[in-house]
Amino acid sequence: MQRRQLLKNIAGLAGVGASSLVLGNPIATLVNSSTQRKADLLVNAKQAFSSAIKTSPTLLGLQNTTGNFPPQQLIIEGKLPNDISGVLYRNGPAKFERGDQRYLHQFEGDGMINSFTFSEQSITHQGKFVQTTKFIAEQQKNKFLYSGPLSQIENSRNVSLADAVNTANINVIPVNDEIWALWESGSATAMNAKTLDTKRRVNLGENSQYGDKLKGLAFSAHPKIEANGDIWNFGLSPSGHIALYQLSSKGIVKNVGMINAHYRGKMLHDFLITHKHILIILPSLTANSVNDSSATALFKSFKYDENLPMQVLVIDKQSLTLKKQFELDAGFAFHFGNAWEETDGTIHFDASINTNVDVMDELSELMSGKLRNLDNSPHTALFTLHTNGSTTKSSIEGDSEFPRVYDHLVGQRNKKLYTLSHTESNFWRDTVCCLDTDSGEKDKFVYGEDFIAEEHIIVSNTAKEGEGYLVGTALHIPSKRTCLNIFKADSLSEGPICRAWLPYHIPLGLHGSFKAS
Amino acid sequence: MNSTLTTICSIAMLFTTPLLSAKTLEFTIDGIKSSKGKIYVQLFKGEGNYQSNKAYLSSIAVAKQGQITIRFNDLDVDDLATDGADANDLNNDYAIRYYHDENDSASMETNLFGMPTEGYGYSNNAKANYGPVKYKQIKFYLTTETVSNTSTIVY
Ligand SMILES: [Fe+2]
Repeated sequence: MQRRQLLKNIAGLAGVGASSLVLGNPIATLVNSSTQRKADLLVNAKQAFSSAIKTSPTLLGLQNTTGNFPPQQLIIEGKLPNDISGVLYRNGPAKFERGDQRYLHQFEGDGMINSFTFSEQSITHQGKFVQTTKFIAEQQKNKFLYSGPLSQIENSRNVSLADAVNTANINVIPVNDEIWALWESGSATAMNAKTLDTKRRVNLGENSQYGDKLKGLAFSAHPKIEANGDIWNFGLSPSGHIALYQLSSKGIVKNVGMINAHYRGKMLHDFLITHKHILIILPSLTANSVNDSSATALFKSFKYDENLPMQVLVIDKQSLTLKKQFELDAGFAFHFGNAWEETDGTIHFDASINTNVDVMDELSELMSGKLRNLDNSPHTALFTLHTNGSTTKSSIEGDSEFPRVYDHLVGQRNKKLYTLSHTESNFWRDTVCCLDTDSGEKDKFVYGEDFIAEEHIIVSNTAKEGEGYLVGTALHIPSKRTCLNIFKADSLSEGPICRAWLPYHIPLGLHGSFKAS
Repeated sequence: MNSTLTTICSIAMLFTTPLLSAKTLEFTIDGIKSSKGKIYVQLFKGEGNYQSNKAYLSSIAVAKQGQITIRFNDLDVDDLATDGADANDLNNDYAIRYYHDENDSASMETNLFGMPTEGYGYSNNAKANYGPVKYKQIKFYLTTETVSNTSTIVY
């Protein structure tokens, strides 16, 4: 798209006019007056959690993290493969409490990057908080200063731009010689890949024709990195428009588009690419029209609507314009594994899908120490979008989340999908699984209920599906330690070939990446 | 003031016709981060004009790092205020919005989502919070005395 035309289109966006200098912010719609009561909720949450953990030690991974983790060599069990060279980075919310207050939702915690550096003989861990402006300010005052997407803080500082409350706590990807800590509603945060020191808030348009036009825009937490190195991503605007980004492997913007998705659901987490198209998949979320003025936080501003079909927006990667739309049964998915496209235009993709968004409330209750039952878990569904506009769906039995595929197959046909599920534990994911999407066969390893498994990712030196390793962390509850597990990617059921232990545990994280050296 | 006069004033922008009493407003902006470009200040009379973006007066000042004060003279004030009536009951409410045009483009730069990427602010030191500021946060009343108002710019 020509820049001029893009900017013209943008100018037509809702209320750029002077009387609405600042559009609605994606984090919350209003700050309300009854913050005193809300602050008490945070005090109650801290008390409830600290008493619950005494009887439910599995809550360990959601304990507040007070400081950075200095470099620490792991103790290795089994044989460390000599062909893994690089760093596994993971991100996740870690700072949950300040003073007598505890956040009401896991997603509110300030992000911490954990790195596991592989050398021939050893693995070294370190963990550092992302030094966002919010984190720095709250560290200095030693208290929460900003209301979050759910927690309302008394006398919260004003938020005119989402980045004021950017916690950089969802994912981390290598970009050029840096790593970028990613959030959902604001800018990426660039960090030193070795020291994990925070460098700057990324102004996407810098060094490009876009200048400051992309400053502060949402840059979501699940970019798709194509085999050629191009980084694709989207960002949801509070108005329901969606920005689309194509960056070079150096992190320089090549192309930006904007579509009006008319999306009222407020929360959009992941997306997909094929070799030709971007797929924006809108879940069945809609605006929650609340009368209760207390329910104005972002996480209360949307609700699941079982009568609202999911929508797939198929966008051309060259022109960044909408080409086709499909409707699917009502559903909600945080995560998608991969999409690919046949020569005749038929599109295939998978989703970890559910028929409600109760997980948001469940994760909130978990912060107060109430364990959530994983019976209400998403499962893998394989969707096909046919060229005649029809769709088909096949559901895979069993639950699944945190889907991953081989890096070289992002947007290309994959046959293996790696996910987490639960087997022995009712409350935590304790199983890693590789699904053969052709045969439906599964290759699984069950950690068992002493462990909480986190996202596992593929580390491979070859561009061949099934080769290399599956690597992931798990929290061992009885010994209160985190371990890093290495499986042969084609034989998970044989168990890890190597397990490396930290002498302590680190907070349960969300997503990460491996950067080969 | 009748609507014809309002329209004329809006077009003229730089002067106004005192009706009953002519008063002065001093507006101070601090926290200006550089002396690059200009500061554009718009004064609105009444909520309707603010919402429809019809400035009563505009002023452009050369930016100066730190603090500047902009003076509006000869503003209308209904003289009833001197009769002991509550100023709040009169049509003497005004509001200010301003921005720092650092790149001298004569417009406030925004990103593609319409959020400002240049410094801006409002009277009463009001700050946007998860959405636009409300008129009631930024309005103030003129009286027969000189009125001062301040704001710290937000970048
Ligand atoms: Fe995610």
